[in-house]
Amino acid sequence: MLSFIFKRIGLAAVITILAVSSLFLIVHMIPGDPVSTMLGPRATPEMRAALEARMGLDKPLIAQIGLFFANMLRGDLGMDVFSNRPVSEIVLGQVPYTLVLILVSITWSAVLGIALGSYSAIHRNSLGDRLTGILSVSVIAVPAFVVSLYSLLIFAVKLQWFPAIGAGDAGNWGDQLHHLVLPSLAIGLSWVGYIARLVRASMLEVMGEGHIRTARAFGLPERQIVFGYALRLAILPTVTVIGVGMGFLLSAAVFTEIVFSRPGLGKLVIDSITTRNYPVVMGSVLFSTLIFVASTTLADIVNAILDPRIRAGK
Amino acid sequence: MNGANISWTRVGLPRRSFLRGASALGGLAAAGLLPARWAQAAGGTLRTRTYADIRSMDPAFSQGVVDEEIHAAIYNKLIQYKPGREWGWQLDAAAMIEQADDTHINFALRDDIGFTNGFGAMTAEDVKFSFERIIDDALESTNKPDWGPLSHVEVTGERTGTIVLKNAFQPLWSITLPYIAGNIVSKAAFDSVGGKIDTQPVATSGPYLHAGWEPKQKTTLRRNPDWKGEAAAFDEIQIYHIDDEKAAEIAFEAGEIDFTRVSLDSVERLKSNPIAGATLEEFPSLYYVWVGMNLDNPKLGNLKLRQAIQHAIDVPTIMAAAYFGAAEPSTGIIAPGLAGHRDAPLTGVAADLDKAQALMAESGEAGVSLAIDVLNKSANVTAAQIIQANLAAIGITLEIRLHEGATFWELGSNEDLELVLNRYSMTPDPYYATSWFITEQAGVWNWERFRSEEFDKLHLAAQSEGDPAARAAMYARAQDLMEESGAYKFLTHEATPVIYRNSVTPALRPDGLPLYRYFGTA
Repeated sequence: MLSFIFKRIGLAAVITILAVSSLFLIVHMIPGDPVSTMLGPRATPEMRAALEARMGLDKPLIAQIGLFFANMLRGDLGMDVFSNRPVSEIVLGQVPYTLVLILVSITWSAVLGIALGSYSAIHRNSLGDRLTGILSVSVIAVPAFVVSLYSLLIFAVKLQWFPAIGAGDAGNWGDQLHHLVLPSLAIGLSWVGYIARLVRASMLEVMGEGHIRTARAFGLPERQIVFGYALRLAILPTVTVIGVGMGFLLSAAVFTEIVFSRPGLGKLVIDSITTRNYPVVMGSVLFSTLIFVASTTLADIVNAILDPRIRAGK
Repeated sequence: MNGANISWTRVGLPRRSFLRGASALGGLAAAGLLPARWAQAAGGTLRTRTYADIRSMDPAFSQGVVDEEIHAAIYNKLIQYKPGREWGWQLDAAAMIEQADDTHINFALRDDIGFTNGFGAMTAEDVKFSFERIIDDALESTNKPDWGPLSHVEVTGERTGTIVLKNAFQPLWSITLPYIAGNIVSKAAFDSVGGKIDTQPVATSGPYLHAGWEPKQKTTLRRNPDWKGEAAAFDEIQIYHIDDEKAAEIAFEAGEIDFTRVSLDSVERLKSNPIAGATLEEFPSLYYVWVGMNLDNPKLGNLKLRQAIQHAIDVPTIMAAAYFGAAEPSTGIIAPGLAGHRDAPLTGVAADLDKAQALMAESGEAGVSLAIDVLNKSANVTAAQIIQANLAAIGITLEIRLHEGATFWELGSNEDLELVLNRYSMTPDPYYATSWFITEQAGVWNWERFRSEEFDKLHLAAQSEGDPAARAAMYARAQDLMEESGAYKFLTHEATPVIYRNSVTPALRPDGLPLYRYFGTA
């Protein structure tokens, strides 16, 4: 198991380096001069040259990549040229908002999706199953930004049950939770349908397997068969999908953060790309990649724990 | 549109004019003769919106209105903009300020202003430090041009001094002293942190304190208990960072903010379906939008062709379709209410197709195909499509090239640029507008590569001209020259519609930008 974990972490490191290098090249290839954007129209040539040197933009691209990784290993992601604050401080200040949003969204949608999927599988072809199927496909088809806008108009503007903007007052957990309801609804809703369909299909497959038939033949209670044996295996594809789906969740978070004016990594990336704030773009991208890679690695490890065949590489 | 005829009320005062208002104002407040919001604090929280996050709490590195909206509430200046429909200023930290001659401005500070965090009373040394550091090359302040020909500040007493200029500089009263470069900071506080600050002020002195900044979320200002001037109306001001105007409108409708600018396409809806307990007001903006033509591009070398384009563009249609009828056509780069604003453009506002076609024929050009570069905002795209249709009517094929922000703002150095739909920000002095179109700026911010010796001379002379009428005539002539070159078709100054709750008494500049320190409760 330990060697499996080390292999996965090694792979994650390689993926991170490749992803960050590619994004570094892409960011520097797009047109637009960060110095002009940052200093505005009234900067003198001397001021522009000084800022270029400070950002390392006067060096060849390959040297800039090397410098970025060398500094990164020392924990130095550079300074934000606008506010002169360390990039790591800026990014780390935003990461919790996005992480909490994603985790809350995926948690509630996974709990509800697994429950609905299990119910549908157990009550196959019942009215409840058919209703769940229709509702699941319906919510999968609705993009997060549409849910964001309509939930805003209904629950924030019309009913005024939930706040429309921001992430709540720092240190006030109740207020922050209140501010999380609509954004997490927007991100999580389509995942409820997706997970429900996945769990249903997976459960039906597992329920037809030999060991389940054997368990039934031995007269084990149905509850124990479903939740003790079938669900444990049926949930494996869901864990993998959630791990890989972290990229989609991050994308959905970008829209949601903008619509709800929430702070977060997505909003930071958009703002910094628009202003060609290279150090912040790279810092944000690094952390986004780390979140994605960590979640897929974690999904692999959880799968390996749940299924010994994966550990053995079968 | 409301307030179209705005004008400076205290610029161009005769020399040696004296203003000794602050103490009188304080006396009136004490006697209860001023409105309630001046005399006593009302309390509560004002929740408002800004379209971008702050960049710096150091006035030397402030990048514009977003930072200044906060600076104006937490710092003091010798003079501040006066809220209202007419441009003007009023005393702030200065108890007295006078223009002794063209190059000397004497001032005396109030004796009741102190800096927070134990940095003591505000003195003339602080004024000297605040102004001179901005022109210090070593600091590399991007706001240095605002101080124009500042030589130095002479300290003549603990709270008195003289601003000494190298030559006369009229914009001092309109865009230097009451704006970004006029903020007074504590010398001792800045010295204690090495002479420069970033996003956290070390010491402030205004009616509000900088109580917190949550990046990408909000800035909180709190009432300064030690402030001895006109009492701040609110216990707290929360300024939320909401990029999108539509999101801000939803937040307003949801009751989460009390004041915001709204988008032009929402004006009609908000007029026909007013939000209960709220007021919508429209202000003219200072921004200027125009179609520019690159004079260095051989494709546009023919004056008659450029003139044909000027006459073919139908500005009223652009106002109706791209600005939803909420903006007025402009006559130049200088907005109504500022010196040099012209009553009408030389090339008219509505398209004159007969004239445009005649000019096309005179030009001898046929089968002309051009491109217009446009920033990818919906108003710009719509305007470009209308221009495309307008030019098609005189036989010109126009390709629309869209760009995102950072790419668009790089286009100035592109010598192959043809037409461009452009929009520049503006401060309330014509000097700021003409400064981008001088020969020295060709290929930098003068994208049309317009070169005129007369224009350059006018720009230089007008900044020192003390006679308001003569100064206005100079700027009017400068805009005539721009238009006569055939390189410009002026479109609009846009507009600033704002909405606020009736429980709030907003204090706004004539262009609709907020002056939070003067906001009150209704």
